[in-house]
Amino acid sequence: MTSSQSFRRFAFAYGIAFAVLYVVALKLDLALFTVYPSFGLVVLGTHHSKDVVDPALGFVVPAMYWYGWTATAALGALVVGLVAALLPQRWMRRFWPGWLWVVPAVAMSACVYLTMPWFRL
Amino acid sequence: MAVALLGAITHQTLGTWASVHPRPGSFFGRFRTVPSASFANAIVVLYALAAILGAIVYLYFRVDVRPGLEQAGHWPALGFFDIKEHFISIGAALLPAYWVCWRRPRSDDPGRMRAALTSILAFIVWWGFLVGHVLNNIRGFGS
Repeated sequence: MTSSQSFRRFAFAYGIAFAVLYVVALKLDLALFTVYPSFGLVVLGTHHSKDVVDPALGFVVPAMYWYGWTATAALGALVVGLVAALLPQRWMRRFWPGWLWVVPAVAMSACVYLTMPWFRL
Repeated sequence: MAVALLGAITHQTLGTWASVHPRPGSFFGRFRTVPSASFANAIVVLYALAAILGAIVYLYFRVDVRPGLEQAGHWPALGFFDIKEHFISIGAALLPAYWVCWRRPRSDDPGRMRAALTSILAFIVWWGFLVGHVLNNIRGFGS
């Protein structure tokens, strides 16, 4: 019963925290790592090719940040989830269950907003 | 796998929102006789597998397909694809909560919460399917 309640708290907190942290990672470009699929290379942190060599390099050697953004949000959400799992059950009584779907829905809208520049090209 | 996921999540979503007292013998009446909770494990596994396979294929997409789309100026299509990847991540993180809502429900859980969570996942799966399908065929459009 107790482990079931702990997992429930973890699952709810993880889902909500991930949605928030993913938007933050996307907005601030906080990728835990950058993937260069052409070279099969993974570099820690966010790296933009054009920052150091040449703007054209970004096209020739594509960098991928989605994996890194997801990893950043997953890591942060894991911490939040574990903390929530350790909290006493009585603290959860103040929790409105609606946050579980409202926060991801708002986060999805924010992701659409942050992707809007693609549609203005 | 994606089609199985699409079918399972669509059935579960419609079953969740359908009337509790449907007309006997009606389409939704027969629809609701299948217990929606029985889909939950399959949906979690199928979503996770589809997301992992998609993440692997994405590497090849980025190198072999996307540069061609950029050169052809398919910017809105690429925007829709970016939205898809964001949605997939957020949906994957909701899977533990989704599983708890269906397989370990509490009597005081609001029914709307489970329905809303399932609908969000269904929306993400359908978005992923449609955008993926369009991008897969986009080089044939207008040719």
